Amino acid sequence: MTLQSATRTFMFLGQCVPCVKQGVSKFKVKRLELDENLLKYFPKQEFVYAHDPEKLCKTGDIALLELLPEKLTRLISHKVKKVIYPMGDITDPITGKKVIVGQYRDHIEKVNEVYGRRKDAFDYQKAPQRGWQEDKKDFTHLEIYIKYHESGKDDPAAV
Amino acid sequence: MNNVRTLLTPYHTPLANFLYRSYAFKSDLKIKWVRPQKIPCYKPEKTGDLEGASQIDRKQVLLDFKESKELSTADDNVKKLFSLEFAPHKHTNRLYVHEFVDKVKRHEYDVASIEVKIAKWTGVIRALQECMERFPRNKKLKVNLKELIDKRKKHLKYLRRWDYKRFEWLLERINMVYKPPPNEFHWVTRRESLKKLTDQHCEKIREERINQYRQQLEHEQPAFLEEKIRTLQFIRNEQKECGAEVTVAQEEIDGCRKLLEDLKLKREDVKMK
Repeated sequence: MTLQSATRTFMFLGQCVPCVKQGVSKFKVKRLELDENLLKYFPKQEFVYAHDPEKLCKTGDIALLELLPEKLTRLISHKVKKVIYPMGDITDPITGKKVIVGQYRDHIEKVNEVYGRRKDAFDYQKAPQRGWQEDKKDFTHLEIYIKYHESGKDDPAAV
Repeated sequence: MNNVRTLLTPYHTPLANFLYRSYAFKSDLKIKWVRPQKIPCYKPEKTGDLEGASQIDRKQVLLDFKESKELSTADDNVKKLFSLEFAPHKHTNRLYVHEFVDKVKRHEYDVASIEVKIAKWTGVIRALQECMERFPRNKKLKVNLKELIDKRKKHLKYLRRWDYKRFEWLLERINMVYKPPPNEFHWVTRRESLKKLTDQHCEKIREERINQYRQQLEHEQPAFLEEKIRTLQFIRNEQKECGAEVTVAQEEIDGCRKLLEDLKLKREDVKMK
């Protein structure tokens, strides 16, 4: 028995991966598939393109995707309904507080205050939204490839 | 089997046109491939560091004597002896790392937060990169440097996942570029590279031709619309005169006229500009 293909399910979660197309986000959908001979599940990845005109999703975000009644183009078959887990900005579902790994942000801040917070230290209230270093110092929104040709142009996506 | 063999003989059948050697194929497209120069893994271009450690002022007092009261009142020659110029190079590096870590500390006693760790490694990496330039054959140094660079990259990856805002702030503070690893690793070969370049070349040609065709169609558009209006009008008149069911609505013809007018206005605007 194999699972139904992710692309035919009504709604599912997917992780956003870099995509250069405008108004479209690419998603990686992981499914576990049963190997009948070994009776063991193995992860399978599928890639889905979803309509996202406002670019709600950034690389790494986990979003809820919905199947469109009919395909927009040959590739775009879904649309982004909601960003569920923005990357690096996790909220604890029980208390509704922001979390970093195993600690609440408030707790960390309080500890810092006890030691005497520095003025030039990082401050969440003043920090701009994610994406202000995009294309400057942070190149995670690009699909990075190994440089294979010296064209004379400087391509930030080439490594 | 014999039949197959006769089919495959390239001499007499028209099939020979389809059967070609798949190996040692040379394209007659004039695409020039230049192999990119290999950059060693420890170089700043590869690690993403945008500044080096050499910008430090060598006339500063040693780190351990910075707050010494006796030294501040001492003779100029003594001060000079306690400056970085007259001390081993490691003191310069130590001061550099110290200043670097100072930029990102959460509080005065912060020694173990992830930013401080990354900043510390960055300071050491930049100092070692300078060292590597002077002693390129020092293998132990190279290994240590490489390991440190990889460790820093790994922890930056973690920080990005944990706390994106802090990650971006840190990148700005320590002045370095972060690029994720490519999806797949492969050697750069002539064959593969040429394949990719040929694909790009074909894509470019395709786009050019599509644009050309689009321009041609746009050029023909007004004439086509006029013809359409005329034809629709003719059909409508005929249907009316013959007493048949009128299938062409007046709105359809008016819509076409409006389209034509809009198009002409747009063209004039473009010309004026």
